[in-house]
Amino acid sequence: MSTTTVMQERDIKQRTFIQNVFKALGKTGTYAFLLIMALIILFPFYWMIISSLKTLPEYRQAIPTFWPREIMWGNYSEAFKTANLGDLFMNTLYVGVVSTLVSLVITVLSAFAFARLEFKGKETLFGALLATMMIPGELFTITNYITVNQLNWMHTFTALIVPFLVSVFYIYLLRQNFMQIPNELYLAAKVDGTSDLKYLWKVMIPLALPTLISITILKMMGAWNSYIWPKLVANDPAHQMITNGLRNAFTDTTGQANYPVQMAAVAIVSAPLFLVFLFLRKYIMQGVSRSGIKG
Amino acid sequence: MVENKQQWKAWLYLSPAILLLLVFTVWPIFNTLRMAFLNGYGNMAAMGGATFQFGIDNFLKVIEYKKFLDCLKTTAILCVATVPISTTLALLIAVALNSIKPLQKTLQTIFFLPYVTNSIAIGMVFATMFNIVGYNPAEGIADTWGIINNVIEFFGGQPISWINQGSTYTANIAVMIVYIVWNALPFKILILLGGLQSINKQYYDAAKVDGTPKARVLTRITIPLLSPMLAYVIITGFIGGFKEYSSIIGIFGEKMGPPDDAGRLNTMVGFVYDALEKDRQGLASAGALILFVIILLVTIFNNRVIKKHVHY
Amino acid sequence: MKVVLENLTKIFPSRDKKAGKEVVAVNDFTFEIPDGQLVGLLGPSGCGKSTTLYMISGLQKPSSGKIYFGDDDVTELSTENRGIGLVFQNYALYPHMTVQQNILFPLQNLKGKDKLSKEEMLERAINAAKLVQIDELMDRKPSELSGGQQQRVAIARALVKMPRVLLLDEPLSNLDARLRLQTREEIRRIQKETGITTIFVTHDQEEAMSISDVIVVMKLGVVQQIGKPQDVYDDPKNLFVATFLGTPPINVLEGKVLDGKVYIGDEAVMSVDGVEDQNVYIGIRPEALEPATNGVFTCNLNNVEVMGRDASVVSSHKNSVNPVVRAIISSDIKVDTTVATVKYNIKPHKFFLFNKETEKRIYFEVKNNG
Repeated sequence: MSTTTVMQERDIKQRTFIQNVFKALGKTGTYAFLLIMALIILFPFYWMIISSLKTLPEYRQAIPTFWPREIMWGNYSEAFKTANLGDLFMNTLYVGVVSTLVSLVITVLSAFAFARLEFKGKETLFGALLATMMIPGELFTITNYITVNQLNWMHTFTALIVPFLVSVFYIYLLRQNFMQIPNELYLAAKVDGTSDLKYLWKVMIPLALPTLISITILKMMGAWNSYIWPKLVANDPAHQMITNGLRNAFTDTTGQANYPVQMAAVAIVSAPLFLVFLFLRKYIMQGVSRSGIKG
Repeated sequence: MVENKQQWKAWLYLSPAILLLLVFTVWPIFNTLRMAFLNGYGNMAAMGGATFQFGIDNFLKVIEYKKFLDCLKTTAILCVATVPISTTLALLIAVALNSIKPLQKTLQTIFFLPYVTNSIAIGMVFATMFNIVGYNPAEGIADTWGIINNVIEFFGGQPISWINQGSTYTANIAVMIVYIVWNALPFKILILLGGLQSINKQYYDAAKVDGTPKARVLTRITIPLLSPMLAYVIITGFIGGFKEYSSIIGIFGEKMGPPDDAGRLNTMVGFVYDALEKDRQGLASAGALILFVIILLVTIFNNRVIKKHVHY
Repeated sequence: MKVVLENLTKIFPSRDKKAGKEVVAVNDFTFEIPDGQLVGLLGPSGCGKSTTLYMISGLQKPSSGKIYFGDDDVTELSTENRGIGLVFQNYALYPHMTVQQNILFPLQNLKGKDKLSKEEMLERAINAAKLVQIDELMDRKPSELSGGQQQRVAIARALVKMPRVLLLDEPLSNLDARLRLQTREEIRRIQKETGITTIFVTHDQEEAMSISDVIVVMKLGVVQQIGKPQDVYDDPKNLFVATFLGTPPINVLEGKVLDGKVYIGDEAVMSVDGVEDQNVYIGIRPEALEPATNGVFTCNLNNVEVMGRDASVVSSHKNSVNPVVRAIISSDIKVDTTVATVKYNIKPHKFFLFNKETEKRIYFEVKNNG
């Protein structure tokens, strides 16, 4: 092999110029593509907000306006009343908080047992639990609907909370996290006479906090977005969840409905998730990328 | 002695989880199977003392049922259309995002936004964007054609009835595809971007040293190295696609179709719930099992295909 | 192809935007690498050697200064247009491609009049593989190769497009000790056979000394000394270069020059001319210490380590900067280990003085021993 070069005498300046032009074009193209895609992603949110602030006649104009001529804050209070959003918020919050808290306790205890304690049949049991994750939820729903009925839980918060307290996936997630904590810490704590619960509380939970926060957020988002199960078992005004209430209050998506008010209601329902997202973006994205399920 | 202590302690800690799982996960598996094979099973009837023959009537009924086939068709169309579109778009966006520095975090946040929305609530927004208000078919005029039609008109096209009375199945499906893709992008972008960021940067430096064109880097290096992640989003995409339900409720409401043809866009999950609410649990169980088997087959098929193309 | 670096400087902005200061990774590096030579960039981690390599490759842009390949100013030219081959520290072999596909990859990128036919490509790939003796492994995937084999594939991939300059980043650091010895000879052979100007980076002085035509010793972004390995070893310009080169490392002691005599503690160990009275660091190569009953330099004897051909006399001295004072002698020479002290004579040409503040070399003429 000789030193004959791939690049013979060429005008270095010209090469540099062409290379820089291509680089600039590539960068511009990349940004243009991303910005256009970002606009497409954002457009529905923008449309929701401006529509929610328009008067009905302005909304119904043949030529759309891209900023409301007269800002109708009144749509929001009307939406709040029409859909009875106050009660829906409280119902959803109650279900969300209670189910998250209880679920966290159950998840932490189970994950601890699987990660730290030795008992007969541990591997088999854990394997069996993981296997249930493959089965689509619809299969459980049918029997659970009957079970809830027979337990006389229809139209109660209990029916909304209890069947979903245990998530095998969260147990799995937390167990993985717990396993990364060296066992020596546990043994050392045992030598010092620390009780299990104290050890859990003082060592394991602080170390696994990011996972626990992710679980909490996903669980709350789950309550906020749940629709099918509540529709089946507790679709009465006293127990209605926010998504069901929203959908029920505005049954018509087509035709002559008062769309600005409808959009105002959608904006109100969407706002809390957005706020949580803005503040806890890191945890949500971490949690989602590990979980791969929609909360 | 310590061992024994750990034994009962473990079971104590596990007891709430196990109890709940037994009632709401393990029992349903058996019971749903049982109901599926009891001809015409209905819970109310069962409590009223009715007995049911063992058999496969439920499955036969499901398959013979025209509406079920329609649901299957809609589900399959949505799946086959949305997974490739959203995966390709997500891949391009993730690659583009990964190649820039300024604005990367901001754009990443924007692209994640659809994930933190309520799919029914934002479905209602999409519905208004496609909705025609004050349509008068006799004169072919409307108060507003909806923003999407406005855009089409702006580019010289004819407005289309997307979701209103008289809209076509194709138009309905098109709306659903747009919405489902919009909804599916964030998760896929997140996973793929994570995958891209974990690829050793030196492969790209090496490719650069060798003067590899961008397109070739994408097809020969990025996609093969990303193939496990791609496989993951494709499989979860198909599984999610076969369970499509609430996005349709978001756009069309519980009618699951345009006003003049309720149920036109019903899906397999929708079919299961309809049967369940009508106290035809046998039928619902059979439907759910068929759904389960289809998902299983599609996943196995995907795995087979992917195994050929995933490189390590 | 000669490579010229002219006032090459690289400044990294601080990570912490508000408070931190910028880091000067490479500071004002000027050097001409003659055509066809094997050059080792040597220094501890963080000395800027890799940054220099990456600037030559074009993967990093210099903050100021120029790089020439031959007479071409390539400073602004991007990597792919420079015609270089680069072997990465962990090889960066594409894991999903076979050895052959990996080697072919750079050739498949060639466009225009450089474009090769399939047969030409294959022929060149096979030639490159033969050169590094991996032509039997063409259908394996990188994961099925040993570290040394991967290394060869990486070199073949870098050589196959006949680069003007070959760059190697820590080429031996991922190999075990025995392979390292073998591979470095291999690199030397390949470089001689191809005659391609080659620059490699290493933190291992032995590696650099053993195969380079020229070594460049760097510290904290500043070039300390450039020269033939033996010249740099024999004639270090400062304390850092003296301590960085050589295994076992040079013995460093605190001492002073008084009236033309060099003192370690109370002992005058050398008479020197042309040095002002001052406190100094004294560097003595381990091979310069000879145990002798009439020696001039007394140390406490710790023990003697015999390692085949050589023996190492381990002793200590209160003025020593290192924990021990070490002498390398032939294992034939017997040292009495029953006594508490050992006396050494010192070979003057391996005895260096350094300024206590600047740590620069103080040159002197030897009068006579003692």
